[in-house]
Amino acid sequence: MSEPTFWRTEIWHPLSVHFPIAILLLATIAKSVALFVQGDQKPFWQKAGSYLLYLGFITAWVAIYTGDMADGIVSRKLCDPTVLKDHEIAAFNVAYLFSAAAALNLLLSFGLIKVWPKALHVLTVVLMLIGSGYLTYAGHLGAQVVYQQAGGVNIPTSDCAGFE
Amino acid sequence: MKITKMLLPALVAAAPFFYSCQESTDVVESGTYQGTIQEVEPEKDEIYVKTDDGKVLELYFTESTTLTHNGETVPFDHLKEGGKVEVQVEKTGQRLDPVAVKILE
Repeated sequence: MSEPTFWRTEIWHPLSVHFPIAILLLATIAKSVALFVQGDQKPFWQKAGSYLLYLGFITAWVAIYTGDMADGIVSRKLCDPTVLKDHEIAAFNVAYLFSAAAALNLLLSFGLIKVWPKALHVLTVVLMLIGSGYLTYAGHLGAQVVYQQAGGVNIPTSDCAGFE
Repeated sequence: MKITKMLLPALVAAAPFFYSCQESTDVVESGTYQGTIQEVEPEKDEIYVKTDDGKVLELYFTESTTLTHNGETVPFDHLKEGGKVEVQVEKTGQRLDPVAVKILE
């Protein structure tokens, strides 16, 4: 028996999902800091948060795509696929919330919305904070799928056949 | 114009909530259930069936799942959204494995 290939379809999701997790949480921190700092530091935190938000929401959709690829394979082997379904729903909420925040941020950045700029900046951060909540919950459920149910995990035989 | 400018951010902010209505799925005991196909995902050999008592079953076909119409075996692409089906499922843990799916109409 030979060692199973590493590059299985379901592997692309864990390879891609950790980027948006880190980037979107950092974006939320940067945008939150930007709300409170004044003076020269404000544009720095605004810009840093914006770039992270744009990069994060794009990579979130990549993670959704790779998650969908993994779903068809992993679901069939889980003992409780409802956890995976809840993970998927939470992940979609993350992607939609951060996409809405990114759209709002773009509209504000390009001056396409001129009414209530301060309130809309706050609204952007509120969307990102709710998104971060869903992100944490989605991550928790994803970890349950892997560590409780061995979703997508190759389990070697007790005699480690294939690893000689 | 002012109303458009006011509505635009509100619409953008509300966008995620249009999607948040996505249903979670239900787990039922092993047995036979009738219902309507809510969604077909051919690339995953997967269907969602809404049972007559309102439960949503997510079913991934396995190698041993049989699919019939009028007693004859038919390919997966015969399943259409909105079609009536009878499904025999086996509950393993919290997973529902479809044993047999009959297309009723």
